[in-house]
Amino acid sequence: MTHDPHQQAQELIACRGDGLTEAQQTWLQAHLASCDSCRDYAEAADQLVRALRSVPIAADPALVRTTQLRARAYAHKLQQQQERMWLIWISCAVVTLFTALTTPLLWQGFAWVGAWIRVPALLWQTGFVMFWIAPALAASLLFAARGTFLGSRNGTPQG
Amino acid sequence: MNATACYFVNWMEPENTAIARGLRRHDPDLLDRLIEQYQHRLLRYLIYLTGSRETAEDLFQETWLRVLERGGQYDGKHNFSTWLFAVARNLTIDLQRRKKPESLDTPRGEDEAPLDIPDSGQPSALDVVAQRELSERVMAGLARIPADYRETIVLRFHEGLSLEEIATVTGAPVGTVKSRLYRGLNALMPRLKGAQG
Ligand SMILES: [Zn+2]
Repeated sequence: MTHDPHQQAQELIACRGDGLTEAQQTWLQAHLASCDSCRDYAEAADQLVRALRSVPIAADPALVRTTQLRARAYAHKLQQQQERMWLIWISCAVVTLFTALTTPLLWQGFAWVGAWIRVPALLWQTGFVMFWIAPALAASLLFAARGTFLGSRNGTPQG
Repeated sequence: MNATACYFVNWMEPENTAIARGLRRHDPDLLDRLIEQYQHRLLRYLIYLTGSRETAEDLFQETWLRVLERGGQYDGKHNFSTWLFAVARNLTIDLQRRKKPESLDTPRGEDEAPLDIPDSGQPSALDVVAQRELSERVMAGLARIPADYRETIVLRFHEGLSLEEIATVTGAPVGTVKSRLYRGLNALMPRLKGAQG
């Protein structure tokens, strides 16, 4: 902040409105009452602001309409994406819960069958692991095949 | 923040909270209403920022799509217009960086065309001619001062944002906003001398 009272007054004039404390407003009013050049500056600033506000710029109704239509279409797309994500989250939660509940039962089932047909523990345990990861394995094979299929349709090199 | 500004923020809160909630839901009716409500202010800001009505109209559409995309980031604590202007500003900076690296911080050259003023379509009269002449001088004057002064002046005197809000939109400290206002006024005043009255 400067010590030149005229420059200080002009800096405050630029920030009139919500930019001044009460003390600054009081000081500025007192200065303006006694200083012609700063009063002229304040008057010129007011005229400039009035001139600025008088510049006629309006949005074209066609632009507004087009924007509203584009926004509406995009909003629907985003809403659908949001709903799909929500469904995926619910499915994941259900699957996780189901897995947590059934895994101990399945383990006990494999142990019982292993004892019944008298096979080594390592064998029925391997069987259990294979059975447990089978759905994920099948799904990834399916996705890989689908990816390859789409890749060949788009003419991109296959991995 | 002073008492008036605090009161203003509290008073605005329910409306802003409703907007924030609607944006999180990607509510198309809310978007319709907001586009209608802020059409002139946003376009005006973009025209002053870019200096071209055509670019501003493109950015106008992109801004609303970005508002939809990033709607979840609006917290409803600030005025919606402050956030909207910040979104528009970031898009403009992105665009200008892609075109040429220095634009927003550089004054437009004297040889470049001044900001274009559209025909207002009002009935013709002597007053209208004088008004148009004044508008052209204002726009030409604005086009010739540094971009950050121009932006601050437009946000303050045209869009009526508080100093705090301008600081939020531009990412500059309030002290810098104050000094840009003062310097911007000083740069603009001599260019309008003789056009006022
Ligand atoms: Zn003085």
